[in-house]
Amino acid sequence: MVMSGYLKQEDLAAWIDAISADHEVLAPQAQGNSVVFAPYVKGASLVFDRDATTSPKRSVFPQSEPLMNYTYKKDPEDLGKVDLELVEAPAPKPTVVVGSRPCGARGFLAFDRVYYGKTVTDVPYLRHRQNTAFITMACSEPETTCFCHWVGSGPDDAEGSDVLLTPVAGGYFAKAVTEKGEALLAKATVSSDAGKEDEAKAVVQKCKDALGESPDLSTAPARLLERFDDMTFWEAMASKCISCGACTYLCPTCYCFTITDEICGSGGSRIRSWDNCMSFQFTLEASGHNPRPTKAHRLKNRVGHKFSYYPTIHDGNISCCGCGRCIKSCPVSVDIREIVLSAMEPSQEAAND
Amino acid sequence: MSTVFDLQAKIKELLPDLDCVIGWKQGYDPLHATPHFMRTEADVDSFIFNPLCVHNPATYLPSLKGKKVGIVVKGCDSRSVIELLQENLINRDDVVIFGLPCSGVVDISKINSAIEKKGLNPGRIESVEADDKTVRIAIDGQKIELAVADVAAPKCTVCRYHNAIESDHFFGDPLPATVENDEYADVAAIESMALADRFAMWNKEMERCIRCYACRNACPMCVCRDHCVAQSRDPHWLTQEDAISEKLFFQMIHAFHLAGRCTECGECQRACPVNIPILTFKRKINKELKELFDYTAGVDLEAKPPLLAFKVEEDNINERGW
Amino acid sequence: MTENPMSVDLSNEQNPYLPVIGTVIETIQETHNIMTFRVVLPDAVMKDFKFEPGQVGQLSVFGTGESTFVINSPPTRMDYLQFSVMRAGENTAKLHTLKAGDKVGVRAPLGNCFPYNDLKGKNIVFVGGGIGMAPLRTLLLYMLDKRDDYGDIQLLYGAKSPQDMAFSYELPDWLGRNDLKTVLTIDREAEGWEHAVGLIPNVLLEMEPSKENTVAITCGPPIMIKFVLQALKKLGFEDDQIITTLEKRMKCGVGICGRCNIGGKYVCVDGPVFTYAQLKQLPNEL
Repeated sequence: MVMSGYLKQEDLAAWIDAISADHEVLAPQAQGNSVVFAPYVKGASLVFDRDATTSPKRSVFPQSEPLMNYTYKKDPEDLGKVDLELVEAPAPKPTVVVGSRPCGARGFLAFDRVYYGKTVTDVPYLRHRQNTAFITMACSEPETTCFCHWVGSGPDDAEGSDVLLTPVAGGYFAKAVTEKGEALLAKATVSSDAGKEDEAKAVVQKCKDALGESPDLSTAPARLLERFDDMTFWEAMASKCISCGACTYLCPTCYCFTITDEICGSGGSRIRSWDNCMSFQFTLEASGHNPRPTKAHRLKNRVGHKFSYYPTIHDGNISCCGCGRCIKSCPVSVDIREIVLSAMEPSQEAAND
Repeated sequence: MSTVFDLQAKIKELLPDLDCVIGWKQGYDPLHATPHFMRTEADVDSFIFNPLCVHNPATYLPSLKGKKVGIVVKGCDSRSVIELLQENLINRDDVVIFGLPCSGVVDISKINSAIEKKGLNPGRIESVEADDKTVRIAIDGQKIELAVADVAAPKCTVCRYHNAIESDHFFGDPLPATVENDEYADVAAIESMALADRFAMWNKEMERCIRCYACRNACPMCVCRDHCVAQSRDPHWLTQEDAISEKLFFQMIHAFHLAGRCTECGECQRACPVNIPILTFKRKINKELKELFDYTAGVDLEAKPPLLAFKVEEDNINERGW
Repeated sequence: MTENPMSVDLSNEQNPYLPVIGTVIETIQETHNIMTFRVVLPDAVMKDFKFEPGQVGQLSVFGTGESTFVINSPPTRMDYLQFSVMRAGENTAKLHTLKAGDKVGVRAPLGNCFPYNDLKGKNIVFVGGGIGMAPLRTLLLYMLDKRDDYGDIQLLYGAKSPQDMAFSYELPDWLGRNDLKTVLTIDREAEGWEHAVGLIPNVLLEMEPSKENTVAITCGPPIMIKFVLQALKKLGFEDDQIITTLEKRMKCGVGICGRCNIGGKYVCVDGPVFTYAQLKQLPNEL
């Protein structure tokens, strides 16, 4: 088994082609002015030099998919008698995500704690999860929106990845992280080159240095809860928010969904699709009552969930991977870093006294 | 510079009587401005105005109805304000309009493309200086100079309203018109395509839609707000299936709902995180509206939008003649 | 987590979203907008079906969707599962069209339950308003079936008018029992009404239940709960002597989909039953 080695740039396409022979491959591709994870077809040109606009979330958590299909069947002998047939959705195809950044691959760890939790095993999710592997591209330079180091990660974080590629001169230093990754890397033409491993380390170190120091977020869970009733604060933070779902749908760790029925004739599907806490309808009750009636309430929930409620119930893990998509693609540049830091402010003042 | 200074002084003067004044300030990096809700004098000090101030602050006005607010507007933004006033979605007495002349704003995605073409990463921006004509960018130790005209938002290339049309306080010197007529050349180009090609093109574009509805929420004229058909089960016009037909259908609904109301501020397209050129749909409808009713939305406070009016005989509609 | 989700053997796992297909055996029009459904599950499921008083279930009509309702028949009476549905939205309207023999999707039991074991030996005061009587009915019937396990039981049940009172077919039995003190109230005088008149919190204050060794369990519309809590405090009840149930919009019912949380607590798994003491610990987002 190949554990690590040097993969030449010119051998990359052949490797991805080999993988795509028996896997669905999702890889970042330019569409319009965006880079999105899309199904790979042989010869497609892939974009690895910057992170994709969308996250690789759809690989494991599709934008929309049937949980089950149903059919109403009339009894030909007794037309008043209608039977119902339920069929579970078919198992997903084995999938490999190529070219996600460490933050994107790591996002699913936030899902895992919930979808495979103390009380429930989300079988449809785990079917995808077990069927998906990540060949991840380590980062050589941070963008202005990057803050993975704030949330306990970094440019070469291999958690959640199966193979980690680090860009080096002429190609990549490739390293298998899991058994699944070893099997994938075995399909590649790699050579041993000790010098490349050192070069990869230097590339990552340079990126780490560029990221700089991170603030201490350990007081964030408590501070955000203390801020819960401070609606003046949340209204100020949410003034410019337009309550759309761009932040959540691009986020690698946002896992909320809705379940709706679609019907056509005598059958249809019960569908799970992305939903988001920024939407008014998300918590709207049939009575008309809404516990999160304004965008300020909803933004509070989004930030609070990631940096307070989730860490409190999941061993301190922050439900944010620091990819910065919510900042970069927000139509009005709402900056979640700024909100968390602002919420923490009183404690910093107190510390300075 | 003195324009901005005078504006800031006026805002500070009026601020005590206003809930807030909406303008712009620098966002998370030097390339990105962000809508700015000014409530204190210190807030006013961080106000900026330059070609990076791409957002249309009018989008926020309907949700602030009932409050006294100030708003800083470019020419295009002022058209949205006028349309909102025409439709009684806001009260003129509650809004203080600070008008500015604008020679064009940038399209950030064009700047990103220009930076990428030089082999640089737009996410590595260090500093930006922007004036009416030029955007100077320092990035990864290198300097890039872009002409605003080369990276202008599409709406600016056909803009006939550089100056705020409606304002209580106007700052700076009004700019002369640079374009006489919007010929809708972009729409005409698509119209000349074969139907199958057109359909294929839009299918390809809509494929990457994530249904976040940023297009809808950024639109100042999207007035259904929390009661949009996109999520409604009654009527149940759209399914939650991940299908291009659903995504395209929503854009059709949006475009039709904006017929004769869309001021082409372009916020729908600018807000789209995956850069789908959806303003084109609205421009197509506006082109028809122009031909049928000779109407341009948001330029005349007294005008009645054609689809909000009823005339027994329309000049360009041969009612029963076919 | 005890295991890596990547290595869980899914072949033995149940898909938590797959409902059991139940059959409606009886419907009861309780009020103009409340309908009760008695549902049986397939024999193989029904014989092993276990739940505890207070737990909820998702009822679904395929084509419109799922909604959450408490199982308001007690686990001591397993001939059928009973759900009472107030018509409010798309799915409840569709449910109201069902008749005996129709199929209905059931995902149950979900959520936590009333602490019926910890309540043994205690006196109980039930305070129910409107459709809020449904969860209380489960526990009330359970306690009546295990009558010796509990102390004095009082029930205060109120509705807007006599016509808005659900479970009317059971009221004579409840009123006639000597091991249960039942007070019924309506908001305003009505012809032929022989019981109390007045808002629930006021009637409760008049009843003046003793707080000694007592737990009050209340459920109803938010505004009623608010004033019932005030009344109970006035009567000297401590926060941990008051139990209520919360309602939130739910979809998954298993603590994932993200809409019923109040801070880090999920009403669908950590609730719907909470003590007032627990509620006070939650962020203010009801």
